[in-house]
Amino acid sequence: MTKKVLIVDDDDDVREATQICLEVTGDWQILTASSGKEGLITAIAQQPDLILLDVMMPGMDGLETFTELQANSITRSIPVILLTAKAQPAELRQFTQLQVLDVITKPYEPFSLSDRVAKALD
Amino acid sequence: MNNELNFESSGDSEATNQKADSLEILLHGMVDRIRQSLELSVILSSTVAEVRAFINTDRVKIYQFAPDSSGEVVAESVDNDKLPSLLGQHFPAEDIPVRMRELYLKERQRSIVNLAKRQIGMSSSAKSETEIVFRSVDPCHVEYLTAMGVQSSLVVPILDNHRLWGLLVSHHSSPRIVTKTELETIQLVADQTSIAIAQSNLLESTRIQAMQEATINRVGRSLHSMTEMQLQQALQQTVMALQGSGGRVYLAAQNPDSIAQLYVSGEQPVLLKDGTHKIPLEEHSDWQTWLADNLQNTAIQHWAIANLDLDSLSLELAQAFKPSQIRSILVIKLEHHQKTLGYLTIFRQGIDIETVWAKRPDRDDPRNQFPLKSFQVWRELQQNKALPWADSEIELAQTLGSHFAIAIYQYQLYEQIRTLNTSLEQRVQERTVELQQTNQKLVQEISDRLKTRADLERVSHQNELILNSAGEGIYGLNTEGITTFVNPAAAYILGYSVDKLQNQPMHEMVKHSTAEGTVYDWQENPIRQTILTGEIYYVTNEIFWRKDKSIPVEYICTPIREKEQIVGAVVIFKDITERQIIDRMKDEFVSVVSHELRTPLTSIRSSIGLLSSGRVDLESGKSLRLLEIALSNSNRLVRLINDILDLERIKSGKVTMFKENHDVIEVMVDAVEIVQSIADKSQIQLAVKPLSIQIYVDRDRIIQTLTNLISNAIKFSPPNTVVTLSAELQTNKMVMFQVQDSGRGIPPEHLETIFDRFQQVDASDSRDRGGTGLGLAICRSIVQEHGGEIWAESILGEGSTFCFTLPTENSLN
Repeated sequence: MTKKVLIVDDDDDVREATQICLEVTGDWQILTASSGKEGLITAIAQQPDLILLDVMMPGMDGLETFTELQANSITRSIPVILLTAKAQPAELRQFTQLQVLDVITKPYEPFSLSDRVAKALD
Repeated sequence: MNNELNFESSGDSEATNQKADSLEILLHGMVDRIRQSLELSVILSSTVAEVRAFINTDRVKIYQFAPDSSGEVVAESVDNDKLPSLLGQHFPAEDIPVRMRELYLKERQRSIVNLAKRQIGMSSSAKSETEIVFRSVDPCHVEYLTAMGVQSSLVVPILDNHRLWGLLVSHHSSPRIVTKTELETIQLVADQTSIAIAQSNLLESTRIQAMQEATINRVGRSLHSMTEMQLQQALQQTVMALQGSGGRVYLAAQNPDSIAQLYVSGEQPVLLKDGTHKIPLEEHSDWQTWLADNLQNTAIQHWAIANLDLDSLSLELAQAFKPSQIRSILVIKLEHHQKTLGYLTIFRQGIDIETVWAKRPDRDDPRNQFPLKSFQVWRELQQNKALPWADSEIELAQTLGSHFAIAIYQYQLYEQIRTLNTSLEQRVQERTVELQQTNQKLVQEISDRLKTRADLERVSHQNELILNSAGEGIYGLNTEGITTFVNPAAAYILGYSVDKLQNQPMHEMVKHSTAEGTVYDWQENPIRQTILTGEIYYVTNEIFWRKDKSIPVEYICTPIREKEQIVGAVVIFKDITERQIIDRMKDEFVSVVSHELRTPLTSIRSSIGLLSSGRVDLESGKSLRLLEIALSNSNRLVRLINDILDLERIKSGKVTMFKENHDVIEVMVDAVEIVQSIADKSQIQLAVKPLSIQIYVDRDRIIQTLTNLISNAIKFSPPNTVVTLSAELQTNKMVMFQVQDSGRGIPPEHLETIFDRFQQVDASDSRDRGGTGLGLAICRSIVQEHGGEIWAESILGEGSTFCFTLPTENSLN
């Protein structure tokens, strides 16, 4: 059964480029959401196998979205990989302390992202 | 006068009385003439003249005995035709036998010799004998007188003070009888002569005494004037008074520090040697021994050596005296208050004495064998004969010696006093110099101390000023953690007055806490560790409490040391609240910039990474889409970087505004032309309400501002609406530009923050509408650089108006 990966990012170009990257490198069903709120709704509705969550988004940001996902029993168990353009050491320390599967700093190398997604879905 | 050689007997009393009267007159006459002078020689000459005139004999002479009983004819009246003169001739002692001299003295025996009768008549005046007892004359006496050519002689003794002074002698070359009257008369004359001699002696004695007193006075005056030259003068006077050929005063050294002094006058013995160096006579041991040996009377302490016997001296002493003519020495010990001061020594040379003898006194000479046949004058010359020291001279020398001693004693006392005075003056001077130096040092020290105190006060004042002016809080603690001083900044930061913090445990007052907010126990407090160990602690994030509000502080705690002992600590702290806010803002800005840069890069990297891998089918629409994404985000990145750099350059003042006078209307038209195409594309109508007035601006930068604001207005305006650009002159001589749209409006809470960097109302706005999030920030920086202001007014749902002001030419002037 094809695994589902949800990409949540407010930047259209990033979202699209990431989608194309995963589509050409793996056999996964790619879902996208352009905000935290939309991502939460999609996660509850589609129950993806992995969520790639952007941190810095207007409105509900990635951390708030993660908290909501954790708070919801349907989505709590879905592994989350944080995609972040915030790359200061203090910020990264803060992210790694969360119960996330991985933290990937932007910009990322597309095949490396694909490998880490594949690993997460194994 | 009766020339008969008969003694008259007493006869007629009247006649006798007449004779007696005439004798009386005669005698008075004779005595008057004799006493016309007080000079002995004159008296004696007068006497012999009067007597010969009286008795009319051939020779009358006065024969004076010398101490050695020899005799000399000292006065004479002679008829040279009858008898020769014997004046000045000496006669040996034996010419008048001792027995005869005793009779002359004790019995005052008078003798009358009549050679014609070979008789000698003797009559004692002491027994008041009037009778003359005749007896035969001694044959040798006869021969003696005969040899002298004398036939008749009369001898009457002259006494002086119970001493046989001399004889009054009458010789006659022919036989003559001496009458009793003549005898008595001559006796009276002899008596008067005795009186005259006594008076003359007295006169002489008085004269000598006067001379000695004069000498003493003269010497005394010289001595008591007390200068060295006059001591020398006194010595010379003394030598002269004592008829010396030389003399010396030796002053012994009175203490080990002084030296002996020697004053000399006239002839001296040569210096003696003591080893290798020469020393005065008085210091030579031989001389001292010789003096001791020759001291006749220890009480008198003088040495009167009349005839220096070189043979009795040591070899060295003899050598000292031998070259000189010194024959007599008188040494007076100079003593005062039982203290020996030195010696006064007078030297005399020997003199030559010529004595004329009536005949040769030498008994061995055959011509002088008894009886003497003739009187032949013989001159005896005695050479280099020592003159004895007369008692009066010794007495004078002693008196002068006393004066010398007193004067020297006083002089030495004076010298001691003068030395003491000099020493005292020197000590006073030295002490004065010391005192002056000490005083100077003291003044310097006081000056230094005053300066030090002034410096300390100044430093203290400066320190106080520094402490009071310091922005950082500063407080000091003792070893117990009690506050010993605190500056106003510390009190202000901590919300207390200085007095409230003074003498309080500071750690309790500020509830000193860790960064996490846990209040420190004093035992674990880092400040206490400084007090205990002396380590300096620099802490950047702990907390002090200002009553109920926590204050993040940074502090440095340093030990206070005094004489190697830690006596407390000083804490300098700073409220870092604002810094933490700024740090957070910086962090946030960096985070935002990072995000804004990394986001387009992510799209570019992903797109290019996939395309370059060859795993994407280039024929599919995906490849084209990836290229578009890469290109679009590259442009976005370029804009972003340009805006960031542009903003930073403007804010840092590195962009020079080329300000010139421009007409507002020109600027507005230029700006509108630039954005006209965008407006057309967005179906937005641009309306301009121009104003013709000069503004002093960088034209390009103001056009940049206007196009930015107009572009924003176009972006957020729905199609077929109008964006209006207007300008108006304000009363404060500023021109206000306005860009009005009919867009969705801006929430009031964002009206200020939209001018900050990356502070869009909605972050997606910038990307959706091709912005960077820095446009308004750049506009604000440009307007502020021109001295104007920028702001936004908005009503949600109706639209927004962005306003900014710029100075006119006039307002600048």
